[in-house]
Amino acid sequence: MENKKTLIVGAGPVGIRTALERAEAGEEVTLVEKFPSLGAERIPRNRLIKPEEAFDCPDLQKVKDHPNIKILPYSEIERIQQTNGKVAAKIIKHSLRVDNEKCNDCKACIRVCPVNMFDDFDEGFTFRTAIDYYNPSTGEYNIYKEDMPVCQRTCPVNLDIRGYVGLIADGKYAESLARIRERLPFPASIGRVCPHPCETACNRQYLDQPISICFLKRFVADVEIAAGIEPTYETPDKKYPEKIAIVGAGPSGLTCAYDLARMGYEHIKVFEALPVPGGYLWVGIPEYRLPKKILQREVDLIAKMGVEIQYNTRIGKDISFEELREQYDAIFIGAGCHKGLKLRVPGEDEYEGIVDCVTFLREQALGIRKEGKGKLIVIGGGNAAIDSARVGWRMGFDEVYILYRRTRKEMPANPWEVDAAEHEGVKLQYLAAPVEILGENGKVTGMKCIKMELGEPDASGRRRPIPIEGSEYIIEAETIVPAISQGTDLSFLPQEHEFKLTRWNTFEIDEQTGATNIPGVFAGGDVVSGPDIAIRAIAGGKRAAVGIHQYLRSK
Amino acid sequence: MCTGRIDPALIAKAFKKGLDGFLIVGCYFGDCHYISGNVQAKAKVDMARRLLEHIGLNGKRLSFQQCSSGEGARFAELVTEFDQQIQEIGPIGEGGDRLGKPEIFEKLEIAEAVLSGEKIRWVIGKRTPFLESGNMYGEIFTEHEFRRAIDMIIVEETEVQEILHGLRQGAKSVRELAEELQIPSERVFRYITALKRKGFVEMAEITNRTPVYHLASQEV
Repeated sequence: MENKKTLIVGAGPVGIRTALERAEAGEEVTLVEKFPSLGAERIPRNRLIKPEEAFDCPDLQKVKDHPNIKILPYSEIERIQQTNGKVAAKIIKHSLRVDNEKCNDCKACIRVCPVNMFDDFDEGFTFRTAIDYYNPSTGEYNIYKEDMPVCQRTCPVNLDIRGYVGLIADGKYAESLARIRERLPFPASIGRVCPHPCETACNRQYLDQPISICFLKRFVADVEIAAGIEPTYETPDKKYPEKIAIVGAGPSGLTCAYDLARMGYEHIKVFEALPVPGGYLWVGIPEYRLPKKILQREVDLIAKMGVEIQYNTRIGKDISFEELREQYDAIFIGAGCHKGLKLRVPGEDEYEGIVDCVTFLREQALGIRKEGKGKLIVIGGGNAAIDSARVGWRMGFDEVYILYRRTRKEMPANPWEVDAAEHEGVKLQYLAAPVEILGENGKVTGMKCIKMELGEPDASGRRRPIPIEGSEYIIEAETIVPAISQGTDLSFLPQEHEFKLTRWNTFEIDEQTGATNIPGVFAGGDVVSGPDIAIRAIAGGKRAAVGIHQYLRSK
Repeated sequence: MCTGRIDPALIAKAFKKGLDGFLIVGCYFGDCHYISGNVQAKAKVDMARRLLEHIGLNGKRLSFQQCSSGEGARFAELVTEFDQQIQEIGPIGEGGDRLGKPEIFEKLEIAEAVLSGEKIRWVIGKRTPFLESGNMYGEIFTEHEFRRAIDMIIVEETEVQEILHGLRQGAKSVRELAEELQIPSERVFRYITALKRKGFVEMAEITNRTPVYHLASQEV
């Protein structure tokens, strides 16, 4: 029989004793301790006052020498998962940064250490030096180094925010922009549309308000445009011959192409079904939030690096997916989520005048749908719903309603967008959901709605809406736009494909490289994550670029 | 001699001796025989000036100017100008500075100790790598971040040296030090614990349930 494996968290006296008992019984023990020395909470009380009273357990050396015990000092448990009666734990092991084998415990480093920092043991009551040890009896030294700043850690692409904001403060705008472009090819576009999770995490908010990280990015990008500087992206002299196909010229696809071009790949071809680049940035985000010429400029800069973008080419129609696989060494799929989900209420497919938000916004952006009249109802509370409503208002609809089944507090849309929509004249109705679409002569005339109330919180942490019996009412409308989420459209794949998909019809990928289960095919962006923000799609593209590079170089 | 060889501690020492002004004239940037000696000199002098201003000296007493060895007229002009400036400010500690005699000389002694200390010298010496190639972890700092770090070090190191200076006159408790030096007592406590950890300070005794600290004997 396989040996039993035991995980013990906390190497205090009890942890050490238990580890020894278990190991004697023949189990494989892993001992996890969050401090760099064994002894857990027992050590540091003594470490400053009397070294001779240090934690000195008779079992300490036994634990260290035992063949069945693996010690992980300075480690933290991030997540514990249970599957099939077994438990798996994800452990983060910090580096000690000191080779304790060679250290002779002379304490000279502590004497001269120039870094005073708040002690992580006593909640900052005293200072510790960056290099220090916990247990005087064992003297295991470590250098404490803080992780990335919280904004950089929160950013999906780990932009060097501290650096570029600091360079703006120094007045070095060109350097700042160059620092952004090391990781992000769309500073002007993302600086306009990003919902900036970094600002939500910013430490400055506890003092007054967060740093305007997002708009500062837009600012440096706009300075360059205003000055009329045409930047060029350098590509390395060493070139690789492999051919790479990228499906979809959205944020993830273009970022993947940008990163690969900067690694030295010459033959990159981007296939785009629409006549315009940018994916959702172009056909989903309205002109007033992101002017098309700003986006076009940033796409042109990527194209100038030698990336070929072929428009009006739909995979599966104009060129088959098998052909791509034969002709190219690696493929990246960044097709996005361009299918609006249905309401699933009676009458939805019967009448003309119902158009999902993806189509509505796309047709408006491409100039197919120019004017509107009558009443418009948008159903949903996300950014796509607010965009549809504000676009509709600009198209000339007489009255625009947004119907949302929860309250404003639960709306996933950016609060400033909701404010702006309301300010412009869009009417918001909360706690209401559609029941049936009404129509006459094949055209929509209105919608039957029902009032809701909020119940217990659901899995997403928001309170679940519950219909109130008998509270149905009717709103008249000529156009109805459901904006209740989007799904992937995988019709470009052959009928019989071998891709592993999730239950949301998205690709299942390797979390490190972005690789799908088929060798040489990578995926990223919304087609993996479901509808999400642009910067996460960009992160997906970057991850796949590294994955493709590793795949091609290890072939 | 290269301006880069001017030790910042020397500047504080000169003022401590009673000098009223300190003028450093070196080569132009880009003309340096040692490539970047004058750039480093400028950084050191700026740092020393900020420290001297922090302790209460008039910053105009310290000046960094550039002129080539062929420009005799310019050199005369620089010196005349500086001489006039110092005459306007007057002798050290007599109205031209934030502090008067004799406190200013006591503070200058602390400034000299700060500028001779490892911390500020190591950081200012690492300025070019920090700003250009990054530290051990590859983090490149911006100029204002570096300036802020230097400013913080100046405040911290001055306080640490003041505490050590205070303890040199005899054993004291945290509260006595805080009152004497006008530093919040929790900060004094943190510095004392750090100094104790490093072996510079020891607890002498406990009187009336208050620990009293004195300097540890240093064996080298």
